Amino acid sequence: MARPPAHGSVVVPDWHETTEGKEYLACILRKSRRRVFGLLERPVLPPPVAIDTASYKIFVSGKSGVGKTALVAKLAGLEVPLVHHETTGIQTTVVFWPAKLQASNRVIMFRFEFWDCGESALKKFDHMLLACKENTDAFLFLFSFTDRASFEDLPGQLARIAGEAPGVVRMVIGSKFDQYMHTDVPERDLTAFRQAWQLPLLRVKSVPGRRLADGRTLDGWAGLADIAHVLNGLAEQLWHQDQVAAGLLPTSAENTPS
Amino acid sequence: MGEEGTGGSVHLLCLAASSGVPLFCRSSRGGAPSRQQLPFSVIGSLNGVHMFGQNLEVQLSSARTKDTTVVWKSFHDSITLIVLSSEEGTSELKLERLLQMVFGAMEALSGFAEAMGTGFVSLMVSGRVVSATEGWWRLGTPEAVLLPWLVGSLPPQAARDYPVYLPHGSPTVPHRLLTLTLLPGLELCLLCGPRPPLSQLGPQLLERWWQPVLDPLRACLPLGPRGLPYGFPLHKDILGLLLLHLELKRCLFTVEPLGDKGPSPEQRRRLLRHFYALVTSTHFPPEPLEKVEDDVSRAQLPRACYLVLGPGEPGTGLRLIALQLGLRLLLLLLAPQSPTHGLRSLATHTLHTLSPLL
Ligand SMILES: Nc1nc2c(ncn2[C@@H]2O[C@H](COP(=O)(O)OP(=O)(O)OP(=O)(O)O)[C@@H](O)[C@H]2O)c(=O)[nH]1
Ligand SMILES: [Mg+2]
Repeated sequence: MARPPAHGSVVVPDWHETTEGKEYLACILRKSRRRVFGLLERPVLPPPVAIDTASYKIFVSGKSGVGKTALVAKLAGLEVPLVHHETTGIQTTVVFWPAKLQASNRVIMFRFEFWDCGESALKKFDHMLLACKENTDAFLFLFSFTDRASFEDLPGQLARIAGEAPGVVRMVIGSKFDQYMHTDVPERDLTAFRQAWQLPLLRVKSVPGRRLADGRTLDGWAGLADIAHVLNGLAEQLWHQDQVAAGLLPTSAENTPS
Repeated sequence: MGEEGTGGSVHLLCLAASSGVPLFCRSSRGGAPSRQQLPFSVIGSLNGVHMFGQNLEVQLSSARTKDTTVVWKSFHDSITLIVLSSEEGTSELKLERLLQMVFGAMEALSGFAEAMGTGFVSLMVSGRVVSATEGWWRLGTPEAVLLPWLVGSLPPQAARDYPVYLPHGSPTVPHRLLTLTLLPGLELCLLCGPRPPLSQLGPQLLERWWQPVLDPLRACLPLGPRGLPYGFPLHKDILGLLLLHLELKRCLFTVEPLGDKGPSPEQRRRLLRHFYALVTSTHFPPEPLEKVEDDVSRAQLPRACYLVLGPGEPGTGLRLIALQLGLRLLLLLLAPQSPTHGLRSLATHTLHTLSPLL
């Protein structure tokens, strides 16, 4: 299994804030709102610019109520559910994200397809877990900072869900980070987990972001700034994984940790 | 239908055979695409004569005027294509071949259903079925109503795979409801068993089936909030309408026919709903009149009734009229300025205009 790349080593971290980055981001926004794309659509860049698209399937896993559905809505720039409604089946969400590669200076349009399935549906219907795992490129394991049990369940999740898929990207996400004051998961436990598992770990707040002047519509630019670290993190891991799989990078065995 | 100038023009119309709803129209003049549109009434009549023949088991396939050739063709009872050409040297055969080719692209829905191994496929815009396979139309009443409601009430998702229990068809064993958002607001829905897995309906497969019919798909989008095709002529006093076909058990409903002046859509919906409850409980049976055996009582059934909201009620002065003609029941909500003596003729006229749709 390839060692995860260091943060910022594959994609340029703050590129989305540069003038050039914003020009690219404009194609996933319309009138300062996030654009919703149908399955037959894709972002269109102004004519001279043509960039490659890299598509990935990402399975979002975690205990009921940790915030899977909320996270995916936040990533897509949609309203996040404020009360918990169990997700009764599988739902997928497509997020486009342009990112710039460090090595080649190329811009790639990442197409992330998030697969979100309610935990109880997953347990009740075997075919759902199979469908979610099939050909997935990455697993996102969610725990909630306000639910100690969801954190302690991580090793079990990792074994149950991603056990037979060793070559697939695995990332851990701590949700409800805005509730950190009331956390059940202290920093030292996170450090210990990271040392034991060597997995990338991100923190998210899936709460509604800033709104536009009308007071109702979510501000697309502000929303993107809130979640850029998650999408860049995913882009980085997935691109790196592809490079390793294609034999373009040394694997972890030869790659002694610095 | 004659055209001046050289080159002549060609109009292609595609309508849903069951409802007559125009799905798309294309025009060209001198070989180049043109924006010129056929008036709605012409489209309606062209479809009307063809349906009229069909009801008498007469297949109308072509007609000729001094300078124009018209060819009709129905495919699998699901789609009617009509082409009008005033180009020189046009032959019926050539036009018929053109229609065959166009239909090749239109076969998507039934072909797709077949390829996916299910007879239950529909296209929905904001929770309304705009096109569906025969199997879907034959679903029992609770599910036929509940599935579009469910889909229309869920937050947007690119795709879903939900277990659904069908109260009529399969109350204990769940089926799978798959939805795929082809365009924002337009969802392709499949009701199926264990197959196909959602992963099979990836972007490549969807593009292969649906990219060729992107134009007709886009034409479906305005059907969502308005419920009627663009350009459909309705009297400006109409604030909302509900048309029921008592035998087909389908309805056409809108509270946003034109602008948004006057009462809110919610209020319009509430008024129409109460009025429907009132007229079906007191005046009109919710079943087809044919079922009323007794000729005497049939003759006594009213054909129209109206009410004007009095002062003190919200929406003072708004008018509501119900009119039943044959198998169709029409309910209209009208603006206060609409003269009461003209209500009945307005309703009759509107019912006739809407009849090709349902
Ligand atoms: N404050 C805060 N609340 C959150 C956050 N993420 C999720 N929530 C809330 O937690 C509740 C559950 O979130 P969901 O996203 O519905 O949970 P889920 O993981 O999808 O649950 P299942 O579908 O049952 O498996 C909701 O009320 C969310 O509003 C977060 O980052 N911060
Ligand atoms: Mg959920």
